[in-house]
Amino acid sequence: MWWGGFGRGRYDTDQQNDLDLTKKALRIAKWDKLMVAIFNVLAAVIPFTAQFFGSPIIGLTSAIALSLAVTFGFTALYAIQTLSSFISADSSVLLVTLPIKPDKLSLVTLFSFVRSVDYIVVGSIVSQIFLVAFYTGSPIAVLIMLVVSIMNEILAVAVALWFSRVFTKNLFRGGRSRSNTLLRLLFILIWGSLLMGVSLLISLPFYIVPSLESILFNSSQFSTLILCLFHPFSAGITIANIGNPIAAGFTTLFSAISLIIYVGVSGFAGKWILKTVKQISVGTNVKLSRETAKDFSIKTRKPLFGFVIKDLKISSRNPATAFFFALPVLETIIMSFLLANFEVLRASTLLVSTLMGGIFVLLMPLALLNSEGSGLEYIKTLPLGLNQIILSKTLISTLTYLPVPIVLFVMAMLKPLTSPLTLFIPVFILLAVASASVFEIQLFLNTVTKGKISALIHDLKKLVIGITTLLIPLAAYSIIYLMSFSHVLAVLILGVVSTLELGVAIYLLRQNKK
Amino acid sequence: MVPKIGVFQIMSTSLIEVSELTKKFGSVQALSGLTFNVLPGEIYGLLGPNGAGKTTTIKAIIGLVEPTSGTVKVEGFDPIINSIIVKSKIGYVAEKPILYDSLSSRDFLEFIASIRKIDQETVNRVITQLGDAFDMAKYFDVPIATLSTGMKQKVALIASLIHQPPLLLLDEPLSGLDAKTSRIIKDLLLLHVQNGGAVLFSTHIMEVAEHICTRIGIIYKGKIIAEGTLNQLKTKTGNQRQTLEEIFLKLTNEETEIFDKTRLLGEAFFKNETA
Repeated sequence: MWWGGFGRGRYDTDQQNDLDLTKKALRIAKWDKLMVAIFNVLAAVIPFTAQFFGSPIIGLTSAIALSLAVTFGFTALYAIQTLSSFISADSSVLLVTLPIKPDKLSLVTLFSFVRSVDYIVVGSIVSQIFLVAFYTGSPIAVLIMLVVSIMNEILAVAVALWFSRVFTKNLFRGGRSRSNTLLRLLFILIWGSLLMGVSLLISLPFYIVPSLESILFNSSQFSTLILCLFHPFSAGITIANIGNPIAAGFTTLFSAISLIIYVGVSGFAGKWILKTVKQISVGTNVKLSRETAKDFSIKTRKPLFGFVIKDLKISSRNPATAFFFALPVLETIIMSFLLANFEVLRASTLLVSTLMGGIFVLLMPLALLNSEGSGLEYIKTLPLGLNQIILSKTLISTLTYLPVPIVLFVMAMLKPLTSPLTLFIPVFILLAVASASVFEIQLFLNTVTKGKISALIHDLKKLVIGITTLLIPLAAYSIIYLMSFSHVLAVLILGVVSTLELGVAIYLLRQNKK
Repeated sequence: MVPKIGVFQIMSTSLIEVSELTKKFGSVQALSGLTFNVLPGEIYGLLGPNGAGKTTTIKAIIGLVEPTSGTVKVEGFDPIINSIIVKSKIGYVAEKPILYDSLSSRDFLEFIASIRKIDQETVNRVITQLGDAFDMAKYFDVPIATLSTGMKQKVALIASLIHQPPLLLLDEPLSGLDAKTSRIIKDLLLLHVQNGGAVLFSTHIMEVAEHICTRIGIIYKGKIIAEGTLNQLKTKTGNQRQTLEEIFLKLTNEETEIFDKTRLLGEAFFKNETA
């Protein structure tokens, strides 16, 4: 019995294994940072591996500029995830009671601040220096790249810190007024756009580098000078031309001056970061403002709908999960972008697009469950079944997948298909997405009995099960098609397998009722 | 025909029946053969030192803890087997209010009212009255994360009362509350039982238990070691002039322990001064 299970073994997990759990939590945090840092290094390297065509200087300029842009965005995005909780943390309340001088207190806070972004920042800087050394062989270029990389990371962290402050302030303000609601919505949209921009940069350097090169190659002297004004182009142009600065003439001089200004700005940004961290250490970083309620009226809904609304509100106010609301937009744009390059929509294209959209969506149920936090403890006391929790989160994640079949359908109106039947692929996969969400949530709720941390540890396992659920029908389609070369049969099998998976999910839900 | 006691429809004579309840957490024996019942119209105070098993008992009644052996019935229903029925009959406030930090009180109560399927008119009437009584206007639309412990306790109390349950399970309900709110809650609990409801609450505040409890159960090492009205407990200890605190300490054998520990502390802290 799930509800009864929550209390079981509490003393074992909470008291006897406290030290183990703390160690596990630290290990998870380190792994998490390491994985993100590795991903960031890859994102920094990929622009350099894109084919350079035409002038090597222009190619290098594009690669450096894109690498800096990607690491800027990625560092900012990761920092936003971690720093929002850092800003709103009550750690300062505990720290200020200790007999430590205020400057030491700031040092402790600064240290924990640095630790939250250290791997990713160091990874970016080191990889970019090595790449520039490899491509230019110039010590001066390497030195400039070092300064530029550090500057880039300082600016990224400053942007993230500013964004986190705005988010926390926005959250703490509360209020029901239209302007507050609009402000919150606007913030989520900006948040989503930022993610979207970074994701596009990360996913498509092979498209972007040649496009950048082409822009730089064809641009007039005037427009190149304009580009020199903007980071990261100023850095790219300066470093790429370092071997032959005279030939580049004004362009190098202009970009170098611009770069010096940016370094100055990053100095101010660094000082601002230190000041903000100091404020965090004494707990004066976010000033609260409160609106007095005019009435106590509330709006009741059907239980499932009430649960869905609650889930949406919680996850949209959690900095770590709010960006998931940009998923539908992100999916639509990426898919439109990818499909626009194809003249005919082949089954393989549809399979890949569907899989990509599905994998994005499968992160949603786990994010929704994690954003419940200690609230899961509270809902155990309410007269609702396990299925209501599962259905609410499944409904949200399945809805975020909906743009995939819609975009594919719209694309099919504009471009010819190898077989009209292949349009059923994303529709049937909708069933697989729903089943995968049910499996992920059910597993999460089962492991939550062993304590929150152990539930988080097993997130990867749940995601693997979710992705496998998604892959099975797609694999079935591919195998049957390769054996029979019949779209009809392959789509039929895909439909049968997806329906069977949904059947298993419904069976699980029925078992919960018993 | 379901008997109606006051405003509540009670399906059995006892609202809570706990019989020979034991609970083991690994090697820790939290409850060992606990037996008591709570009748309609009663405020039953569960008194005991830290770690005596008060919270585990309350959690077993709401179905959050599955008993190792023994039985728990709420209006005749088993909280594990009939968990949804039992939870719909209970208003529960945990020792530390666990709420959704990012929701405002209004959002949170909207969620609770929706889950409990309460009609809009009723819930708005109840919330307006409780919100006014607890001075919630300033804090109704701000995230729960920004509220003080006392304000969070008020939100948790409102959430436990909005469905007007016959049974209230309150784990240390008055901790962190100001004098005015404490008084309102005490009066509210009295009104609740006058209308046929029942309250089971655990507390460390003897004064509160002394004034509002119909019956008191003293729990020690997972067992009820004494039970009855204040007068019955006084008779048990053989001194009618004793306060509940004195009775409690005597029954739990903590009087001598307190004396010894105070003496040792005095020696440790004030050795130089007393020498």
